[in-house]
Amino acid sequence: MFEARRESVIAEVRVDDGGVDESVVHERTVADGGVDGAGVLARAGVRSTDLLGGLVAVLVLLHFLAPAVLQQPVVLAWSTVFVAVCLQALPFLVLGVALSAAISTLVPPSFFARALPRRPALAVPVAGMAGVVLPGCECASVPVAGSLVRRGVTPAAALAFLLAAPAINPVVLVATAVAFPGDPEMVAARFLASLGVALVMGWLWTLLGRTEWIQLARLPAAAPGLTRFAGFRAAMTHDLVHAGGFLVVGGAAAATLGVLVPRSWLEQVAASPVLAVLVLAALAVLLAICSEADAFVAASLTSFSLTARLAFLVVGPAVDVKLIALQAGTFGRGFALRFAPVTFGVAVLLASAVGAVLL
Amino acid sequence: MSGRPDRTTQHVLLLLLGVVVLFVAGSDRYLDYVRAGFRPLLLGAGVVVVLLAFSGLRGGRGETHGDAGHGHRGPAVGWLLAAPVAVLLVVAPPALGSYTASRQVAAPVAVPDEPPAAGIGADDPGADHATMTLFSYYVWSQAQDTSALDGRRVRLVGFVSPRAAGGWYVTRFDINCCAADATAIRVAVPGGPAEFEPDDWVEVVGTHVPPQVDPAVGYPEPTIDAASVAAVEAPAEPYE
Repeated sequence: MFEARRESVIAEVRVDDGGVDESVVHERTVADGGVDGAGVLARAGVRSTDLLGGLVAVLVLLHFLAPAVLQQPVVLAWSTVFVAVCLQALPFLVLGVALSAAISTLVPPSFFARALPRRPALAVPVAGMAGVVLPGCECASVPVAGSLVRRGVTPAAALAFLLAAPAINPVVLVATAVAFPGDPEMVAARFLASLGVALVMGWLWTLLGRTEWIQLARLPAAAPGLTRFAGFRAAMTHDLVHAGGFLVVGGAAAATLGVLVPRSWLEQVAASPVLAVLVLAALAVLLAICSEADAFVAASLTSFSLTARLAFLVVGPAVDVKLIALQAGTFGRGFALRFAPVTFGVAVLLASAVGAVLL
Repeated sequence: MSGRPDRTTQHVLLLLLGVVVLFVAGSDRYLDYVRAGFRPLLLGAGVVVVLLAFSGLRGGRGETHGDAGHGHRGPAVGWLLAAPVAVLLVVAPPALGSYTASRQVAAPVAVPDEPPAAGIGADDPGADHATMTLFSYYVWSQAQDTSALDGRRVRLVGFVSPRAAGGWYVTRFDINCCAADATAIRVAVPGGPAEFEPDDWVEVVGTHVPPQVDPAVGYPEPTIDAASVAAVEAPAEPYE
C-alpha cells in the first residue's frame, strides 16, 4: 500500500517538473485511511467478496418473496424513473470513462501543453470551443475534465470544457432546433448563453480559483512494468466504478424529486416573470434530465416564458443533482460545494440577459 | 455496508451490471425505460462493461502486488452499482402508468401552431377507422381547422387513467429520451365504460368532438366520443 502511494506522488511531481502546469493538484489519499469500516470488517475476517455474496443472496431471496410493499404505485414509479435515468446515462458514461482513461494513459502529457495556449486566460476559450466536438451528455464530460486536470491542463480550461461540452455540441443544438420549431432563435440563445457560462466560469477560476479546492480521486497506482493496455483497463475500471456509483446517487435523487414534485404547482408560479426563471432554473437542477432531452421537456412547459425555458436549458447541463454528485466524486466535495452555486448564479444571470436581448 | 469493494468485488459488480443491462436490452424490457433507438447504445455499453469485468477477473492475479486480488480497494460508492441491478431484479418496474399520469394533471401539452399539412391518413387496411397516436389526435383536436376529422372514425390505443369529470382518459406517455422526461398525453372518453380499471390497456374507436373545458382541469381537453371500447394487450413499446 505505502509503496503504491509513494509511486503515485512521484509520478505527480514528475508531471510538475515537466513544466506542463505550475499548479500542484493534490490527490486525495483518504483512500488509504486504515481506521474505517473496511478496516474493522477486515479485522473481523469479512472480505468484501463475502459482503457481495450476502448481497446477492438477499437479492435472490427478495426476488422470489416479492414483498407487496415493493409493488406500491409510488415505488414502481420511482423505480421506473430511477432505472431509466441510469440506463439512459450508462452508454454516455462508458464512452466518457473510456475517453478519460485514454487521455490519462495513452496521450502523452506534452500533447496538451502544445495544443492549449500557455496563458490560462487564452486556454479557456480554446477549451470551451473544443466542447463543440464531444457529442455526449454531461455524464461523459465530467470524467474527461477530471483526466484533463490530471494530465496537467490548467483547471480553468478543463472547467470551461466541462461546462461547454454537454451544452453546445451539435447533437444538443439539433435537438433544441427540433424541439422549438417555431423559435429558431432559441438555438442561438442557448449556444451563446451556455458558451458564455463556460467562459465566465473559466475566467472566474483563473481570478479566484485555488488549486487546493480540487481533490482529485486517486487513481490506482499502476504497477511497474504494466503494459499500456493494462493501465488503460485499470484506469477505466476505477473511473467506471467510481463515476457509476455517483451516477446512481444522482439518478436516485432525480427519481425522488421527479416523483415527489408534481408539475401542477409549477404552473401557478409561471405567471411571474422573475419567479418563473428561478423556478425553472431550480427545476433543471432537481430533474437532472440529460442535455440531449431537456429541450423537449422545456418545449412542453408552454405556460412559461421563452426566457424562463432558456434558463432551464442553460442551467441543466451546467449544474444538476446528478452532476453535483459526479463532480463531488471526481473533483472532491469541497470543489463541488463552491462550484455548483456559483455556476447556478452565473447561468441564471446570463440566460436572463441573453433572453432579454434575443427572445 | 461501509467496506470498500476490493478488486474482485468491483469486477463482479461490473459484471452483474453489464449482464443485467444486456438482458434488459436484449428483450423488450428496455422499452419500458428508454426510447427504442437506445438499444444499440445499451448493447454496446453492456458488452464493454462485461468485457472489462471479465478481463479484470482473468488478468487480475498477475497485476496485483501479491495480495491475491484483495488489494486496490475501490471507492465505497462503487457498491451502489448494485442498486440498479437490485431494482431491476427485485422490483422489475413496469412502464409508467396511471399513477404518474394522474400527477401531471395541470400541464397542457405543447402543440405546434400549424396542424400537419396532410390529412390524418387513410383508414387502416380492411377497417372503417384510422389509427392515430394520441399525440397526433391531440394536435389535430387543438388545431384551428379540425375538418380533417369530420366524418372519420378514429382508433386510439392507450391505458386507462381516472377522470374526475366522468368516464376516464385513454392515456399514453410521450418520451423523448427516457422515462424521466415522460409527458402524459390524455384524451377524455366521457362515456368510457366503468368496467375498465386504471392501467388496463384499451383500444377506443370513435369520432371527434370539440375539446371541452373540464372545470377540474381548467383547459380544453381533447375528447373522443367512443363507439366501441375493447381490451387489448399492452404493446411492447408502451411510449409514443
